Amino acid sequence: MGADTMAGGMTYGSGDARVAVAIVDDHPVVLEGVRSWLSADPRLEVVATGDDVDAVLTAGPADVILLDLRLHGRMVVDKVSELSASGQRVVVYSEHHEPSTILAVLDAGAVAFLAKHEGRDHCVDTVLAAAADRPYVPPSLAGAMVGDRRSTRPSLSDKEREALLLWFQSMSKASVAKRMQISEHTVKQYVDRARIKYARAGRPAATKSALLARAIEDGLIRPEEIGTYRSYASPDRPSD
Amino acid sequence: MSAERLRSAGAAVVATADRGGRVAAVVIAFGWHFAVNVPGIAGGWTDYRVPWAAAAGWVLFVVVGVLATARLFYGFAVPVLPLLAVLLIVDVLVIAVTPDLKIFTSLNWAWGTIGWFALLLLYDRGIGTLVGVLVANAVFGLVGVIAASPDGHGAVDLSRFVMYIYGTGVLPIALHAAMSALRETASNAAVSEAARAALESERLGAAHAQQERQERLGIVSEAAGALLHDLATGRADPADLDVQRSCALAAARLRRLIAESDDVPDPLLHELRACVDVAERQGVPVDLIAVGELPELDVAIRRRLAEPLAATLATARDWARVTVVAQPDEVVVSLTTPATAGPAKEAHSWPMNGVVDYWYERDEELLWAQTRWRAA
Repeated sequence: MGADTMAGGMTYGSGDARVAVAIVDDHPVVLEGVRSWLSADPRLEVVATGDDVDAVLTAGPADVILLDLRLHGRMVVDKVSELSASGQRVVVYSEHHEPSTILAVLDAGAVAFLAKHEGRDHCVDTVLAAAADRPYVPPSLAGAMVGDRRSTRPSLSDKEREALLLWFQSMSKASVAKRMQISEHTVKQYVDRARIKYARAGRPAATKSALLARAIEDGLIRPEEIGTYRSYASPDRPSD
Repeated sequence: MSAERLRSAGAAVVATADRGGRVAAVVIAFGWHFAVNVPGIAGGWTDYRVPWAAAAGWVLFVVVGVLATARLFYGFAVPVLPLLAVLLIVDVLVIAVTPDLKIFTSLNWAWGTIGWFALLLLYDRGIGTLVGVLVANAVFGLVGVIAASPDGHGAVDLSRFVMYIYGTGVLPIALHAAMSALRETASNAAVSEAARAALESERLGAAHAQQERQERLGIVSEAAGALLHDLATGRADPADLDVQRSCALAAARLRRLIAESDDVPDPLLHELRACVDVAERQGVPVDLIAVGELPELDVAIRRRLAEPLAATLATARDWARVTVVAQPDEVVVSLTTPATAGPAKEAHSWPMNGVVDYWYERDEELLWAQTRWRAA
């Protein structure tokens, strides 16, 4: 199922430092499964696991926390806000992938959202991207953004919207690139730009600022694009 | 034409018929008042006990008549009963100022005119009040006749009085009754016309539904008829993979057509679910994901959105992903599945009547079909 592997090229840090990941889930089977996925990747190190966020975090600092959205029967969106406000990178993963839930999690400051069915490759790539403060948009997240009708939604360009839509449909950036007659790299840039626009919208959070800062550093957006809504008239090709 | 519009059209018919009656009432009242009463008053000017009272009464009748006309044609709110009282007072006044011997002449003009002016005021009311005014008029007249009658003329005057009352009272009452009857008839005609039209549109609706059913039956026969015939006659082998594929296709079409006539909140999703159902029964796991709120779509548009994908989905193996992205002015449906299904053509795309675009592509790995509706 052609998972995106482009984020695999983004290693965390410059040296051999491995990304420290904490996993919070209340289902031991899932916990073990995800741990084995992540541990198998040499770039990642699972430093703590458990079914309670605070207990897991006292075990030691983690670069990224992979958080099940539903813990002991409760949706922990407020916990996502709290952690994100303090600068903790949170990747939410959940079997609840209704668009409204996904958008609420993004608003709360989560670096990424992953549907549980999206599989190993997406999971590893999401965590790696999150550790580098880079956007990662799995298809479920693309679907939520493309179907967003809230009045507070950021305004996406036609190309960004089309790239999100086709990525959501096909789950293959190669196919999207062929369809849009652009390079895979450009497809990824359109999708990531759309994601960054979401980091600009809504409540501020330390994690959102980090995403924005890195996006500027990477040349994905220009500094002057931050803080104001972009006009539809401005050129919509991402900078190369 | 809706029943509501028919009802208002019916009301317009009634109003037109009624307008003629109102014009007649106004023409008669004022025609009489000017053509008969003016010469009468002028001719007997010197005979009146108080000539100016007769003239003032005539002017008051004109005022009442104008107000009643304004009410009748333009809906002006005027006090009907006080104006009737004015007419009756003028009536008594004119009787009082008419010399005794002239009581049955045109000098006593108000007596014969009051019926027409009362009709103007009471045109759209029950006939009872009009009769009441005419009875009062008769009583005043009777008192006047008795008071004026010289001895020995009583019986003759009484018979003239009855003739006079009959002559002046019957016509306004007749016109009032005739117009009421006309209004009633026109209103009934409009109501029955509306009912007939409602029945007619119901019949058209039923015929339309019947035609749609025939159309669906046509598609069904096309989808399954020949195949069933071949299976029954042994010309098609159920073990043949192509036959199995055709069966799956026909089953998907049938399921979708059945789903089409269901009354559900999101018909497009319902129809797609029916297709997904068929694929899943063949052991193909299908993800059906919908985002956004679907606008209301015509059955023809839904058919164009679902049909091409349903046909391809029926031949899917391994897995399939169906997505629906809806906005108020755009709906995009997509199917992706491994490239083992569907026709092996390269990418192609063509618009379906300009309303729904269909696009299909199959490369080495992936089959990707998409239909897209955009609001005009």
